[in-house]
Amino acid sequence: MCVHKRSVFAKLSNPKYIMVLATIGIFLVIYLAGALAYGGKGFTSVRTFLNLFIDNAYIGVSAVGMTMVLIAGGIDLSVGAVAALTGMFIAYGNSVLGIDPFLCIAAALVVGVSLGLLMGAMIQYLNVPPFIATLTGMFLARGSTALISAESIGISHPAFDALAKWKVVLYAPSFENGFEWVKVKPTAFINFYVLLFVFMILLGTYLLQATRFGRNVYAIGGNEQSAKLMGLPVARTKVLVYGFNGLCSVLAGVAYTLYVKSGWCQSLSDMQLDVISSAVIGGTLLTGGVGYMFGTFCGVLLKSLIPALITFNGNLLSWWGKIATGALLLLFIVLQRVVVASSDKKKH
Amino acid sequence: MERIIRSKLTWAAVAELLILLVCLIIRPDFFSISYQPQNGVLYGSLIDILNRSAEITIIAMGMTLVIATGGTDLSVGASVAVAGALALRLMRWDIYAYPTPGDWSITPFPLVILASLVVCALMGAFNGFLVSRLKIQPIIATLILMVAGRGIAQIITTGKQFTILYSPYKFISQGSLLFLPAPIVIMAVVVAAVALFTRKTAFGLFVESVGVNPSASRVSGLNSKRVVLLVYTLTAFLAGISGLIYSSRIMSNDSNNAGKDYELDAILSVVIGGTSMSGGKFNLAGTVMGSIIIRTIITFVYYFSIAAEATMAFKALIVAVVIVLQSEPVRARLAKRSQMRTAMKGGDVRA
Amino acid sequence: MRDIILSMKGIEIAFPGVKALNKVDFSLAKGEVHALLGENGAGKSTLIKCLTGVNHKDAGTIVYKGKEINPSSPQEAIELGISTVFQEINLCQNLSVSENIFIGRQPMRAGRVFWKEINRRASEILERFDVHIDVTRPLQHYSTAIQQIVSIARAVDIKADVLILDEPTSSLDENEVERLFGVVRELKRAGMGIIFITHFLDQVFEISDRITVLRNGNLVGEYAADEITKLELVTAMIGKDMIKIFDLKPPTVAEGADVMLAADRLGAPGAIDEISLTVKKGEMIRFAGLLGSGRTETAQLLFGVVKPTHGQMTLKGKPTVVKSPSDAIGKNMAFCPEDRKRDGIIGDLTVRENIMLALQSRRGMLKPIPRQEQQELAEKYIKMLGIATPDAEKKVGELSGGNQQKVILARWMATDPEVLILDEPTRGIDVGAKAEIQRLTLELCANGVSVVFISSELEEVIRCSNRILIMRDGKKAGELDGPFGEHTQSDILKIIAGEGASA
Repeated sequence: MCVHKRSVFAKLSNPKYIMVLATIGIFLVIYLAGALAYGGKGFTSVRTFLNLFIDNAYIGVSAVGMTMVLIAGGIDLSVGAVAALTGMFIAYGNSVLGIDPFLCIAAALVVGVSLGLLMGAMIQYLNVPPFIATLTGMFLARGSTALISAESIGISHPAFDALAKWKVVLYAPSFENGFEWVKVKPTAFINFYVLLFVFMILLGTYLLQATRFGRNVYAIGGNEQSAKLMGLPVARTKVLVYGFNGLCSVLAGVAYTLYVKSGWCQSLSDMQLDVISSAVIGGTLLTGGVGYMFGTFCGVLLKSLIPALITFNGNLLSWWGKIATGALLLLFIVLQRVVVASSDKKKH
Repeated sequence: MERIIRSKLTWAAVAELLILLVCLIIRPDFFSISYQPQNGVLYGSLIDILNRSAEITIIAMGMTLVIATGGTDLSVGASVAVAGALALRLMRWDIYAYPTPGDWSITPFPLVILASLVVCALMGAFNGFLVSRLKIQPIIATLILMVAGRGIAQIITTGKQFTILYSPYKFISQGSLLFLPAPIVIMAVVVAAVALFTRKTAFGLFVESVGVNPSASRVSGLNSKRVVLLVYTLTAFLAGISGLIYSSRIMSNDSNNAGKDYELDAILSVVIGGTSMSGGKFNLAGTVMGSIIIRTIITFVYYFSIAAEATMAFKALIVAVVIVLQSEPVRARLAKRSQMRTAMKGGDVRA
Repeated sequence: MRDIILSMKGIEIAFPGVKALNKVDFSLAKGEVHALLGENGAGKSTLIKCLTGVNHKDAGTIVYKGKEINPSSPQEAIELGISTVFQEINLCQNLSVSENIFIGRQPMRAGRVFWKEINRRASEILERFDVHIDVTRPLQHYSTAIQQIVSIARAVDIKADVLILDEPTSSLDENEVERLFGVVRELKRAGMGIIFITHFLDQVFEISDRITVLRNGNLVGEYAADEITKLELVTAMIGKDMIKIFDLKPPTVAEGADVMLAADRLGAPGAIDEISLTVKKGEMIRFAGLLGSGRTETAQLLFGVVKPTHGQMTLKGKPTVVKSPSDAIGKNMAFCPEDRKRDGIIGDLTVRENIMLALQSRRGMLKPIPRQEQQELAEKYIKMLGIATPDAEKKVGELSGGNQQKVILARWMATDPEVLILDEPTRGIDVGAKAEIQRLTLELCANGVSVVFISSELEEVIRCSNRILIMRDGKKAGELDGPFGEHTQSDILKIIAGEGASA
């Protein structure tokens, strides 16, 4: 059993990578299918690809925090509600109270993180199951949003709008008249929320892979009892994880609000479902201890590919998307189960 | 005494009474019940609470058993939507021939009901299969139908919203039996049926046994796979009944909103009612109480003209208080205080 | 002379109804491997648990490195320098090998976890123990044997002075045991004190310097490993009990009695290679042997907890395959398992519910036993077995261990079985109750029930059985037919120790 040089294959067959590889693989398969079917309509353009990022940045940002919570062995149902609350803070705070929107964002951060820490404390010290504790948090946030205003409020503020509109345009050479004219045309652009999404993914990756905190999260999710016996700061870590997720929910709310430029108590009502599904498709085990930020990143993209395909098709009811997502989830869940079951049997 | 304080049901009942008391103080005629001769039904805010809580209570009966086996069912909302969608579609199968609804149904009424409930039961069996045979964690397994189920409902009605005017179907939610609105009667029948089935057969015992210690249950000869399958099938079936009531109230199918967040309310009802989420002994009466508390809160908000959207915040607060009071550390501390008091009085500490 | 690093004196711990440790002494020196032996219920784990901060002692002192200590949590014990490697590996399966060794104290560089260093040092430590593996793979990829060594490596890197190995060799094959012992010798050289808990006698002699034997909570003796023979050791562990049991006689079996149960080379991988036995109607046969010798596995095969992959079984002369416990109960068999926490009690259910559970399983879901009948059943067995409970509605989880065992026994007796298999039913029960249970099982035999009784208590084993099967190392090592006399006990001990002739 003297394995010093790890072959690429051996490294890849490490079970934790299998799930992420599956995600990437299926993404490529579906993308290819889309390319074959709708390549002519522009499915394969850079713009379409970047739109996946733009339209789903808020889910991606939230998925960063949710991945961490799931790895720790918990779950958080309050993400949509906190994001909506953030939107309302900005909308009401600015349009009605005249407060600078960035101050509103700061206030939302304080509230969101505090709620997260509170839920974490309930889970850790009062032994309330995470499902129930975060459900309560969700009701609280949702209700507070409705209490602030029952109607949708628009946002219009120069700095805020500027941020929403800001983009970096990508140019690419395009050939016209058969190589005689090489023009540079704008093909696509990146804007603030895309950057936010990518930044959060990178931050999440750093936290999970390069800090003791992140490694403790993995340990707790893997076996909380063992983690305790090994002397890890279980209580503190668990509470902080929910606090961090609160931060992500608020940032997701900011991204979404920049997108729709309004705050409404009924927005993002299914967000937690989308976020959890993305994480699961990205290879995060709902039982805890396993998950990668990169996997989640791919999961978000993969999940958003389906509505994109349906849009391009134009004939299918959008509801087929829900069924397709459900089928995708089933596939990944069964795959997870198979991988876990077979790695239990296979031992050196 | 210690046992009473320790009982979760006590706290739930106390909470309900307190809320009702507040309602009564603010509006003294809150408890009034009057009789409406033209409809032949009793009328009043208390009746209203019971009537409107029917959908959740019915589902929560099944959810109690699911939680007792140590699981959770997130797909009940989807089953509610599917039931309504299928029923409406069957009744309006001839929609292209007769675009305007009238007091008829192309499919016989019993068949409509049967088909909807059977399809829901099949959805439940799917969940049960994933959990018992493939050994997938219940939250994950039921997540699939939660996501896909609503899509299925929409496909059944090809994205359209049908309306009907068929009176037998209307009866489900608007009719009355024995002076009580039909939903209350249906709810009572379901509660009684589930209670009888769990307590008069060994089913309840088996569910509890599997929930507390599946390994010992197996050695003792229980077929835990069958028990789990039955529990999920039953819950989805009950969600189907709930879906029929819901769609009857609006006399159409609203696949977007039908059953929205029902699983949350159902789970909360069960938890408030005293059944532990880790499985084991369950408390059906407590669940009913829990569901009524949730509905009372909503009614409270509605009656006192607080914005309807704010119901969530109130729900959250009350639920948080009840949960904290019910949590182990708090209950243990309160019980200890009662113990010490008894001991100081010279009584026997072991209740 | 021994350089004592740890000295426990006069340790006493009592649980409701049972005295787990009665003035027990134990000492450990630097660079010494000290084996702690005793059957289950002897008190070994209780003693270790008060060293690792899980149990609180009622009396006695623990002196460690010259200072008196009283660890109140596993954390504290680790910080003091006392590390334990448990049978259930207390590591995180999803983390890599190197991470398991360093988690919580990873070396950092520029604010980031220094993975290269972690992997390098982990490889280094493991190579010291002659383990050459890819330390970046998740722990669950490796066998229990490797995982144990990783566990030890963590303890060593934390600079523990006392290492407790709790049943480390139970799931290892010969080569893996050798490698583990290599590690242990290396640690000895480095001056660590090692407490070695096991029930494999050959290993004890191979690796330990000193041996302490406990029985029923009492210290039997402390010996130097090279001054005691195997036979003397076995005698110390399960030999003559000082306590007298009632004057009980073995059951009389009719001459031409039918063979109720017969197994012919029954076996399953991971359980038993093959076992053959016959039990006649009304007979009481005993399984003797040390823990781990394969008795429980045999019982599980017979009852269908583990499905046999080869071999034949016949019930009342007809060939049968028992597919599951449910199946077995339907065929009028009953099984009282050894691990009552995991396979026995349903803690949140009441005494009454626990007692009638198997009976109800057999009747099926739709034919509930009337409440009145349940009540009577419960009361009957509470009285018969002397279960200490205020009433039948108390939750079983709140009873003491001994009473829980009685409830489980009642559950199986309530099914009126034709074949009853009991796996250590008297463990953890007070003496008076032990006798009661013996008497009851004999009564059952008199009523025609065939009983297979697995037990470590030799005195009872001999007194009341028709035949004794002795297991050793997963195989049948001997079979003795009654009637039994003066020499039987030493015969059995010899066979267990491996010195006697096999049947």
